[in-house]
Amino acid sequence: MIKRLTPIAASLLLLSTVAHAADADALQKQINELQKSLEALQAQVKEQATAKASGEAAAEYATKDELQGLTADLENYKYQVQRDQDTKTAKSTRALVVGGTVQARAGYNSLATNNAVTDNRKTSFDIPTAVLTFTGNAYKDYDEGRNLTYALRFGYSPQSTATQLLDTSNFNLLDANLTYQILPTISPDTGRLAVTFGQQLVPFGLEAAATEDLKPVINNAQFVGRLGFGQRQIGIGLSGDLWPEVDYGYNYRAPVFQYIVGLVNGNGPNKSDNNDHKDFIGRVAFTAPAEYNSWLRQLTIGASVYLGKQNLAIGADRVGQGAKDRYGIDVSYNHHPFGFTYEFVKGTDGTVSGTKAKPVFGELKSQAHTATFFYNFGEQFVKGYRAQGRYDDWWPVSYQPFARYDSFDPNTSKQNDKVNITTAGLNIFFAETTKFQLNYNRRDDQATKVKSNEWLAQFQYGF
Amino acid sequence: MKNKIFALSTLTLALIAASPAWADPAKVIRIGVATVGTGGKPVFGGSSAATAATRGLIEEEFKKDGIKVEWNYFKGAGPAVNEALANKLLDFAWQGDLPAIVAKASGLKTKILLANGTLGTTYLAVPADSPAKKLEDLKGKKVALFKGTNGQLVVNKVLDQYGLTEKDFKLINMDTATTDAAIATKDVDGAWYGSNIFQLVDRGVARIIWSNKEGPISLTRQTHFLVTEDFEKANPEITQRVVNVLVRTAADISKPENADKVLQEWAKSGTPYSSWKKDYNGGADLKRRSSPLLDEFFYNHYRDAVQASLKFKLIRKDFDVNQWFEPKYLNQALKEQKLENFWTAYDAKGNPKGGK
Repeated sequence: MIKRLTPIAASLLLLSTVAHAADADALQKQINELQKSLEALQAQVKEQATAKASGEAAAEYATKDELQGLTADLENYKYQVQRDQDTKTAKSTRALVVGGTVQARAGYNSLATNNAVTDNRKTSFDIPTAVLTFTGNAYKDYDEGRNLTYALRFGYSPQSTATQLLDTSNFNLLDANLTYQILPTISPDTGRLAVTFGQQLVPFGLEAAATEDLKPVINNAQFVGRLGFGQRQIGIGLSGDLWPEVDYGYNYRAPVFQYIVGLVNGNGPNKSDNNDHKDFIGRVAFTAPAEYNSWLRQLTIGASVYLGKQNLAIGADRVGQGAKDRYGIDVSYNHHPFGFTYEFVKGTDGTVSGTKAKPVFGELKSQAHTATFFYNFGEQFVKGYRAQGRYDDWWPVSYQPFARYDSFDPNTSKQNDKVNITTAGLNIFFAETTKFQLNYNRRDDQATKVKSNEWLAQFQYGF
Repeated sequence: MKNKIFALSTLTLALIAASPAWADPAKVIRIGVATVGTGGKPVFGGSSAATAATRGLIEEEFKKDGIKVEWNYFKGAGPAVNEALANKLLDFAWQGDLPAIVAKASGLKTKILLANGTLGTTYLAVPADSPAKKLEDLKGKKVALFKGTNGQLVVNKVLDQYGLTEKDFKLINMDTATTDAAIATKDVDGAWYGSNIFQLVDRGVARIIWSNKEGPISLTRQTHFLVTEDFEKANPEITQRVVNVLVRTAADISKPENADKVLQEWAKSGTPYSSWKKDYNGGADLKRRSSPLLDEFFYNHYRDAVQASLKFKLIRKDFDVNQWFEPKYLNQALKEQKLENFWTAYDAKGNPKGGK
């Protein structure tokens, strides 16, 4: 550029020598101005060339300073990770997930509680449950997903207020089991088969082993507690499914046929069997083979059976064994935004009366109906929707009003002894693991001819 | 009886209160995006919709009307967008060909408005020290694929060309983040990727053994921008304005002088600038791949994709692609912005029409 501009300046100088003498000064002035412009242009060109060169270098190469900065960052990071691991990190021998669920409740009951230790109580604050969970894998099969997993769950529950003089609440072992996936789990297209050994929930019907989206009510249906499904059992169970309907377009898997068979002690958790009879559990469920976008999605019909024996005693004397049989059928239709469940359960329990020398054996038959309808406003139960990329601690706030009718007849041969509970409520899901529940229970006890109203407000939070 | 009336009343109230979320469309426009940035960041790249989202251009367009724009970035990609669409939680969506085809075949009522990211690349990668050198070397091995996304259709087509099927591999359904981890820890022997593979290659974690970059155009994947039929019918004016913004943005990112800035913006997704640069041939492919045109190539690709999806049993029902596409908003936007001849239209085989 400089070379090209120099001849121009020389030509101008030559022109100036042949110009009229009177114009010499003016021409000289112009030449000086042109010279200045030329120098400015030269400086500008040089500056641009330098900037371009350094820009290219900056785009392609890291400088030594930048590399040293990066190295220092890495060293600092390594130090911090090592230090935190040594001093501030909980460790376990195998993969471990620690979790839990806690409920904090306020309640009002129009029917006052009166007993040896309780005086005319209608209201109470309670912590009905606090569960601490440890789960993880004991062996992970990278090739086919035949994993061995474990679950250990402890739960706090308050003692019955009828006899409570002191704080005798306890923290018991709830679940302690190992599960092995017998069939590969690597592909959703194939059926599953798993065996679970140890202390576990009884997979009877819907309510006894329901997940959150099928169980919107604070209190369990009456049959769960009255027929013994509220407590864990120790034993072994096989669970699996066949003919899965997989809709990859919606990441949806619904097996057409699900089955569970198992043997358990039958006398509850944390103790050895009290007889040599092992109780049998069986369940089958058929789900409509439908794509995600079908109205038949998640329509399931199931049947469950529990065939067991229980020791019978007169006073402190054992006199034999009686039946402990349960039969149930259920229907569930969980089709966002609404859901419906219905369950019918029949129970047969051996009874004994008379004396030890002359026992009289009999049977007590009971039955229960439970129907629940719920509607969701919000996206809490749309799995793909709530798994979003967001900067903040976002969670789709959802509202779930529901109604339930629950009836339990403790003795079908006796008239007017049913207890009917009608519940209306609202669940508000406002954070990933936290919900607020409000339930109104209208209880009609036909045996005592007492009707009562109960209000429960509860926060349930998990971690 | 009293109890039953009480229960019934609650039920009725719940049903009366229930109304579709789109009933008040003037207040919010809900857009679904079938991807997330690295680590679940709500940022993406690779299309004019991505640029419009990063720059807040649709928000700007509707600011004066008080209409809120809500972007939803789905970790579950196209299948999760379908789930949200089926539950009436979205009005517009940016997603790939296969998931939208699966949804349409199963009865989801949508309309494709414009192309929004075409000729997408696909790569087959293996751990850096793997002995595998070509696709066939992975027969019988564990290969990760995000099923239900538009990658699955390309993979099926590619395998078909080699006389193979999904069953010749132990195909494992994994999302993008899980696949990255599995390749790094060698839990899988190979994985199918998009442009995000380059960051693993640059880190020495993975090696590409196959790509569609030099292959036939039929092996590329396409993405689009669609609207639900309900929203489009109720809000044609809003639909037009959304398309206007996307077309304007597509024209802007198609200009060579803007390439560097655009790729830098897309790098906010976590896929580095260098990866975008390699995937877009240094930016030279930006105009071609940002074309919003619903040209013969695009129509034909979707017709082929429907037939291929039927062949590979990814869908059960055929449908008419011509009825699915709604080009009137795009044509109006091109006319208003005088962009009718800005992009080259391609014929069914992918050749420029009119020799342009």
